[in-house]
Amino acid sequence: MRSSLIIFSFFVAGILAGLSGKIPAGFDWNKIGGYALYILMFLAGSSIGSDRNSWKVLATHNYKIIWVPVTIILGTMAGAALVSLVLPSLTLRESLAVGAGFGYYSLSSVFITQLHSHSLGVVALLSNIFREVATLLITPLLVTYFGKLAGIASGGATAMDTTLPVISRYSGKEYAIVAVFSGIVLTILVPILVTFILTF
Amino acid sequence: MISILLVLSAGILVGLMIVRKPALHQLNNHLLNWSIYLLLFLLGISVGTNQEVIKDLGTIGYEAIAIAVASIAGSVLLSGLLYNYLFKQK
Repeated sequence: MRSSLIIFSFFVAGILAGLSGKIPAGFDWNKIGGYALYILMFLAGSSIGSDRNSWKVLATHNYKIIWVPVTIILGTMAGAALVSLVLPSLTLRESLAVGAGFGYYSLSSVFITQLHSHSLGVVALLSNIFREVATLLITPLLVTYFGKLAGIASGGATAMDTTLPVISRYSGKEYAIVAVFSGIVLTILVPILVTFILTF
Repeated sequence: MISILLVLSAGILVGLMIVRKPALHQLNNHLLNWSIYLLLFLLGISVGTNQEVIKDLGTIGYEAIAIAVASIAGSVLLSGLLYNYLFKQK
């Protein structure tokens, strides 16, 4: 929650700077953003690789745990696909790409801006922040009606960090491990799925 | 965009090499956070200077909420089925 506020305020500060008209005209977002994205990807990769938990959780858990992220991917894609049918302003590809952020707003918004457009990048940022905040707020309710995997499903990629405390509190400690596993798998898949959806 | 995935893989490889160096993990996470802040700030600037995006901000918010709600609903419903079949203690 705190980190999403920090990130959101950097975004708002950027908008205000842009609106102020004081940004030099030679500002080439695509070029700067392109380089910055490579740096971000490299750092995200080394952060995943250097975390021993990423690999340990994968190796030590029962096969059925793999169905959790699979289910979340299928459910998210089905929901996002439905939105593109209802809202004519979004194509299937755009809607799926935003959904494939799984709550990981920082990486997905930057990616989508770079691979598609500024407006879709902003949709991805707001949509995935909303997914995280909603999970923090409604997990108790979801767990009551849809079982102990519900908070993990709603949290998506954020189940490994920001929404983990609330999941562990309402589904129990034994589900915290499931949450971390599912969150890690989805986090690794965000850049891969978004790139795949937008470029193939 | 194969190059992006290659950079990601290179990062993972470097990460594997520094598994036993916790001081570098911290540095890595700091750099990661700041590069995210920088990119979001840049995204903000490009939004602020882009008349079209500013004009459509209402539609954008509405689409964002629709996709988030539908994504949560779809994954929660399916996870409920999975829970009943595979996880629930009988």
